[in-house]
Amino acid sequence: METNSFDAIVVGSGMSGGWAAKELTEKGLKTLVLERGRMVRHPDYPTATKDPWDLPYGNRITQETRLRKPVQTRTGYPTPANQHWFVDDLDNPYEETKPFDWLRGYHVGGRSLMWARQSYRFGPLDFEANGKEGVGVPWPISYDEIAPWYDKAEIFAGISGSVEGLYQLPDGKFLPPFDLNCVEVDFKKRLDEKMGRKLIIGRCANLTAPLTHNESPQRGTCQSRNLCIRGCPFGGYFSSVSATLPSAERTGNMTLKANQIVYELIYDNDKGKATGVRVLDAETGKQTDYFARIVFLCASALGSAYIMLNSTSSRFPNGFGNDSGELGCNIMDHNKPGNSNANVEGYLDVAYTGRRPNGFYIPRYQNVGKDKRDYLRGFGYQGRAARSNYNRFNDTPLMGAELKKAALEPGPWTIGMTAFGEILPYHENHAKLDRTKKDKHGLPVLVIDAIVRDNELKMQEDMRNDAAEMLEAAGYKNITVKSDSYNVGNSIHEMGTARMGNDPKKSVLNKYNQVHACKNVFVTDGSFMPSSGCQNPSLTYMAFTARAADHAVSELKKGNL
Amino acid sequence: MSASEDRGFDASVEMQQRRALLKRVAWILGGAVSAPAAMAILQGCSAKEAAPGAAAFQPRFFKGKQADIVSGIADVLIPKTDTSGALDAGVPAFIDSIMADVYPQDAQQRFAAGVDEFETASAAGGKSFLDQDLSQRAATVQQALDAALNGEHPQKPFILVARELTLLGFFTSRVGITENMEYVAVPTAYHGCVPLSQMRKHVYWE
Repeated sequence: METNSFDAIVVGSGMSGGWAAKELTEKGLKTLVLERGRMVRHPDYPTATKDPWDLPYGNRITQETRLRKPVQTRTGYPTPANQHWFVDDLDNPYEETKPFDWLRGYHVGGRSLMWARQSYRFGPLDFEANGKEGVGVPWPISYDEIAPWYDKAEIFAGISGSVEGLYQLPDGKFLPPFDLNCVEVDFKKRLDEKMGRKLIIGRCANLTAPLTHNESPQRGTCQSRNLCIRGCPFGGYFSSVSATLPSAERTGNMTLKANQIVYELIYDNDKGKATGVRVLDAETGKQTDYFARIVFLCASALGSAYIMLNSTSSRFPNGFGNDSGELGCNIMDHNKPGNSNANVEGYLDVAYTGRRPNGFYIPRYQNVGKDKRDYLRGFGYQGRAARSNYNRFNDTPLMGAELKKAALEPGPWTIGMTAFGEILPYHENHAKLDRTKKDKHGLPVLVIDAIVRDNELKMQEDMRNDAAEMLEAAGYKNITVKSDSYNVGNSIHEMGTARMGNDPKKSVLNKYNQVHACKNVFVTDGSFMPSSGCQNPSLTYMAFTARAADHAVSELKKGNL
Repeated sequence: MSASEDRGFDASVEMQQRRALLKRVAWILGGAVSAPAAMAILQGCSAKEAAPGAAAFQPRFFKGKQADIVSGIADVLIPKTDTSGALDAGVPAFIDSIMADVYPQDAQQRFAAGVDEFETASAAGGKSFLDQDLSQRAATVQQALDAALNGEHPQKPFILVARELTLLGFFTSRVGITENMEYVAVPTAYHGCVPLSQMRKHVYWE
């Protein structure tokens, strides 16, 4: 029988929502998962097995798509192979006071289908920084407290990587690492010898070997196709569609509904609790209320902030749980001002086979140990070396039979890398609702106002200079360092809009991701982050979501929620 | 691509069956299903329309002689030798569609003007490009490339755009990829350092 009442409601089915669904259903809770976008089921990914010649326009984006998706396409991320995962900006508008790239995937699986799969732990350095430096609010939890949850997330998801013993980048439970290629090994050696800096293989959620558990029989190992963003019919990488949602499904406790736009939390003033959520059907516009004992908001940092800002009541006139005034504020992303490239001489008699869905990583070394900088925190680099392809002939006079002959040999090696740096939490970097503007569902539009400031701009100089210095130290030629302007959001790591902290006057959530002022609402997407680190954050969302779900069920059992 | 590879209507029924099969296999056996086997099933799904060949196409962007001129340029840039050339790969139709659908209006206009100017310049040099034999055409294109590469230009010169799109169209086409590179749909593994002497072809599609 159709019912609107459940034990738990999870809003969003992406990286965090999938984990919440899996953990809550496995602990026996009848759980409703609401996704605002369309249904996607493993292994039905429309472009996953298309050959390159099946993609129109040499995989370039058409003007028609640009008109519908002006924000998504201006970033260069969408292609005909993957554009169906990126939202229609006209149907899903927002306002940007300063340029802000909001890349979104509205469908079951969310951005866990499109992510770059890089998976790094935050370390003690990251969890202690805010407290030691008096920035934002201190993390209410230590590395040691979250470490077992990282273990759990890594083991279930399957993270490949190498054990390195670095303090600033703790090791995890890894599947075997991918190979570095010949030139990357060369670069690693030179960086170590000349500068004492580490280069490691990226840690990524691709199965380089079978999983070490039997919970995901639908997943096979990575086939090195490097077409992950299309969705992988082999289940070779972690997404909620390939991994967590199937686990939740198998419990029999999950009800998953697509095309359900949650726009408001229902608050019961007498009980002091949220009783459920208000939903619009994206296709019919029908409004429905769903009820549950606990609600997990996993709708992304800006998505969850939106729902909370839109949930006003006499108790919460400024947005749900917003006693601190920090809701929607402290937006962070990763500082990323352009990439650096060089040509590598030699190694002409070697190449690689297979397509590695991963690159190298140079872990943060700034403000670690004796390496002091004139700004706080630091950055890491992600990059790869490769042999150049036919594009190298573009601006040459080579033509005819000679061109065809030359194209049968791989081009010279090139190497490129991009810095990802920490952005500090600034109260001024915020999102709010513009109730005078409405989207096609009649819902108010989010206004985002976020920029990088002095600390980030100083860091950008080092990101460029250090890259040039390292490529030069390695003896590489024709070094180019781009200084692209960086729009906040472009790293697609937005976070911080409902930060956790011990002080309810300065934070929205407690150390278990519970809203301070309403304990039966949990927010476990990027919203909760008090600082951004410089590591790709998804693994941290997984770990915190699993921990929050464990806490929620234990509190329910104790009758505390 | 030969017409026999175009499976037409039957392909869609077959595709549905294959998908259903793969789904069952993937769910029931999971990690136990061998990747190449699963991919072999899936490969059947990619039955596709025959690629546009050298045959005439109905231009949507080009007007008058523009399609013939662009075809002539693509043909001498990547001629048919013992392997397929740009015309076999359908490059003129590719450029027509990319102009019509991908390029913004100002770039479209520059390209169209560029084609016309290219023809006017070659005619002023004595013989219209379309009246030239293959070796004369090659010399004309070579000359245009050299001039474009040596000068300073506020916008990318027409001949370099035509060249870029010819390369893109050719090396993303079925013949361009499979005849010049090793195309492995499912590599199964990544090997980071392999001597070229141990590779079947030296360039792997990636």
